Amino acid sequence: MNILITGAVAGLGRALCEKLLDEGHNIIAIDINKDGLEELKKQRGDLLDVIQVDLTISDAVSRLIETLAKGTRFDLVVLNAGINATGNFEENPGEAYRRLLTINTETPIIMASAMIGGNMMETGGTVVFVSSLSHATGYPGASVYAASKDAIATYASSIRRACARMNINILTIFPGPIKTDHAARHAPKGADAERRMAPNRLAFLVLNAVSQRKHDLYPGVIAKLTNVAGRLLPAFLTRLMRRIVFEKLDKPTY
Amino acid sequence: MKVDQATNILITGATDGIGLLLAHLYLAQGANVVITGRRDAKAVEQVIPKDAIYIQANQEHPQITADLITKAMTEIGWDHCDLAILNAGNGHVCNPLQENPEAIRDTLNVNLVAPILIARTLVRFLDKAHHGKLVFIGSTSHKGAAKFASYAASKAGLHGFARSLREEWHHRITVLIIHPGPTATGMHAKAGFDAGAMKRLFFDPDYVARTIVASIHKGASPVSIGVFARIKQALSLRKNPVSAGDI
Ligand SMILES: NC(=O)c1ccc[n+]([C@@H]2O[C@H](COP(=O)([O-])OP(=O)(O)OC[C@H]3O[C@@H](n4cnc5c(N)ncnc54)[C@H](OP(=O)(O)O)[C@@H]3O)[C@@H](O)[C@H]2O)c1
Repeated sequence: MNILITGAVAGLGRALCEKLLDEGHNIIAIDINKDGLEELKKQRGDLLDVIQVDLTISDAVSRLIETLAKGTRFDLVVLNAGINATGNFEENPGEAYRRLLTINTETPIIMASAMIGGNMMETGGTVVFVSSLSHATGYPGASVYAASKDAIATYASSIRRACARMNINILTIFPGPIKTDHAARHAPKGADAERRMAPNRLAFLVLNAVSQRKHDLYPGVIAKLTNVAGRLLPAFLTRLMRRIVFEKLDKPTY
Repeated sequence: MKVDQATNILITGATDGIGLLLAHLYLAQGANVVITGRRDAKAVEQVIPKDAIYIQANQEHPQITADLITKAMTEIGWDHCDLAILNAGNGHVCNPLQENPEAIRDTLNVNLVAPILIARTLVRFLDKAHHGKLVFIGSTSHKGAAKFASYAASKAGLHGFARSLREEWHHRITVLIIHPGPTATGMHAKAGFDAGAMKRLFFDPDYVARTIVASIHKGASPVSIGVFARIKQALSLRKNPVSAGDI
């Protein structure tokens, strides 16, 4: 398979990259972290191409799409790159929110629409959008992140039917906390890192969902239960998130 | 809260449709109303209410818009804002896989990034009000819409934002999101959509504006002006949902 992964240097993107390389697939890995990409390339050599792009910059995304359009078609595209901004909403700079909304919402929409509409996907292929378990719970203390992840979930469900007609599957995943540096930086004080899902485990669940052509994935039992609770008692869950997250954040972080 | 001469209200996107009707309703109650729009002041002179103060601020440029609004509010001597209704919105209708990137970026900037950045700069004005209210106008399409994929995404983003911020600002500023269903304003034509015979099923904009005013007064969130409201309207149980003189 030909595969594209954004945010490929760390976390879920990295875990997917390694698993898929092990299985012998061709991958284009995209990230902002140049050193990380070079290291990945050195380690995993010939099946891998790396492109360094800042996905918070609209023009850079447009240029990336032009480059990708010249290559082969993709069987799997994982639009995984994303960032967070936590703390009191008004205390993070507006520019941090602009960047967040670009990379988490605008960029995956622009890329998916260009790649599917522009015939850059192989029939039978899959596009994966990464939303968040915050879609079920709300996320006081990261309200713009919550916005960005709800937006991408609704975009995915809006285009799903049109894509199905072209035999392209749209999978949206709603992971809870993942064991990454990103999660650790934004976690409330005293949070238990051991309860976060390991990136390898998540990558395994995502690839299963891809091969089963699922539409939505709430990975793991806790995420599944949280989703049900969020449907039954949305306001209660958001209040709970205020207690366990927002009230324990001590400073703006972006 | 009673509306009087000290009540300051901001309404974005009030040069047409629902926003314009909201401006008329609040002016009639005696509030000070600042409205915004994307067009030049000259171009909207004949359209907007005489007593409203107009700020031209195109939300395709979110941070500039946020700064223009707070600058103008400071210049006219507002130290507080009791109610801000972030209503401006646009959309582009098309096959979801043929959306042009510029249209996607416009929709997201106008409907999502701008309201978020405006909310951020408005905090200090809302904090100084007695019980400030911040209202977002979403859409019932926030759950998904094939013909308006990025529009639906932008409204889902607003929904998620309002949900989390409402909890964050609990006991401080009341945050609400109200989702109108299809309404017979000029929006569909501007979006390149001919609703045809469907248009007869659309809500009356005046009804929607009055329902929004009543919902703001109640303070519950989220509120959808959807099928139930439609049935109530047909049965005329509530001809006039406005509780006059309150926000
Ligand atoms: N109509 C519906 O069926 C419907 C359904 C659900 C939700 N809504 C939402 O309700 C809100 C009001 O819609 P409406 O039906 O009253 O539409 P409308 O009649 O087209 O009014 C929209 C207002 O927003 C302004 N606006 C558009 N783009 C702008 C920009 N870039 N910067 C600043 N202002 C801008 C418009 O200015 P101009 O006068 O220059 O066009 C107008 O004043 C929107 O948020 C819309 O998404 C509408």
